[in-house]
Amino acid sequence: MPAKRQLVLAAAVLLAGLVAMNLVVTILTRNSVPRRVMRHARQSQSASVIALGNSLVASGFDEVAFNSGAGLSAPRGAANLGLGASSTVEQLLLLRYALSHGVHPDLVVYGFYDFQLTTPNRFTTSDLMGNHAMLYYVEPFYARRFYSLSLHDSFQFRAMHAIPMFADRGAIWAKVEILRRAMAQQGMPAERTNRLGRAADFSLLESDNAEDFRLQCSASVNLPLASSVSELLRQANDLGLTIAVVEMPMREQHRRLFYDTPGWSQYTSHIRNLLAQFNVIYVDASDWIQEDALFDDPLHLSTRGAAQFSQRLGRLLGSLPPHLSAHSTGTPVPGRSRP
Amino acid sequence: MSSLSWCQNLLEYLAGETDVPPAGFPIELTNYLFWGIWWGILVGVVFVFSGQSSKFIYIDF
Repeated sequence: MPAKRQLVLAAAVLLAGLVAMNLVVTILTRNSVPRRVMRHARQSQSASVIALGNSLVASGFDEVAFNSGAGLSAPRGAANLGLGASSTVEQLLLLRYALSHGVHPDLVVYGFYDFQLTTPNRFTTSDLMGNHAMLYYVEPFYARRFYSLSLHDSFQFRAMHAIPMFADRGAIWAKVEILRRAMAQQGMPAERTNRLGRAADFSLLESDNAEDFRLQCSASVNLPLASSVSELLRQANDLGLTIAVVEMPMREQHRRLFYDTPGWSQYTSHIRNLLAQFNVIYVDASDWIQEDALFDDPLHLSTRGAAQFSQRLGRLLGSLPPHLSAHSTGTPVPGRSRP
Repeated sequence: MSSLSWCQNLLEYLAGETDVPPAGFPIELTNYLFWGIWWGILVGVVFVFSGQSSKFIYIDF
């Protein structure tokens, strides 16, 4: 049997190894997706427009095309702070992060799809990986007001948030997953992928069928805005920023099955009423892209689709008098409505 | 001892099944540096591969 001293010394070596591993994880995740978006925010201090939302905005908002449509030019142009696989809590944190790092936009473009604006944020610690990991390191205890965790997970969260091997575990697992997928592809027909992952996976994020969507509409039609969404809009409104909430473009099948239904019309009327208190410009862009070929997968626009959508959005919002300024009460423009 | 049983003994020794190293293996149980690093390697391997059951949809390249 090893002496107690040897055991303690071996444990000390292990501890040193764990500290080293945490340093390695910190270095490997310096360029993780949330940190890249945060860096982009820091580098966009002169931006007059910021775009927030999930992957639909991250991949669908083309800064150059928007600027060209709105008649803006760098560095006063738009900054896309959309974050894939983010909840509305991370989107709130990104707005706050940008504002606290010297970004003073005139306009906030907030893209959404389906029930994102009213879905309450309920997580478990196993959900807090990948891009959700920023909940561990950007205002972690402020953000906790806007999502719920069980008591057990709440303790776990407190214990894990300061340890990079836990907080950023998803970034390391993603590297392993990419390797595993590459190995699984050996000798198999190539799967369609895009910058966000396997194209086919994104159909999992849509409702299963029209009936399921109808039930979700009925269940959501009386819900308030998610607390993180109303806080995001409140903070932007209090600062006098113009806010455009944009129903993001969807494929023909999604529109036909889900959006061209009485349930969705009722739901969007409901959210327009909720948004009214924040002086929001509501843009229904869900049918702006008619060609399915301009989508990379069931949800995300291709580069060409993003350019087309963003240029049109830029033309629409750029016409606000005065030019992209706050407190605009511009005359109605086709395709745009105030709730 | 065949090389196969030597390897088996080595794995049993590294895994803590036995306290006696196979003949010719130089690391004793008193070598705290080796065992600390070895446990660290095991923790690292478990950490790296423990995300297999996670539902990965988004992997932003």
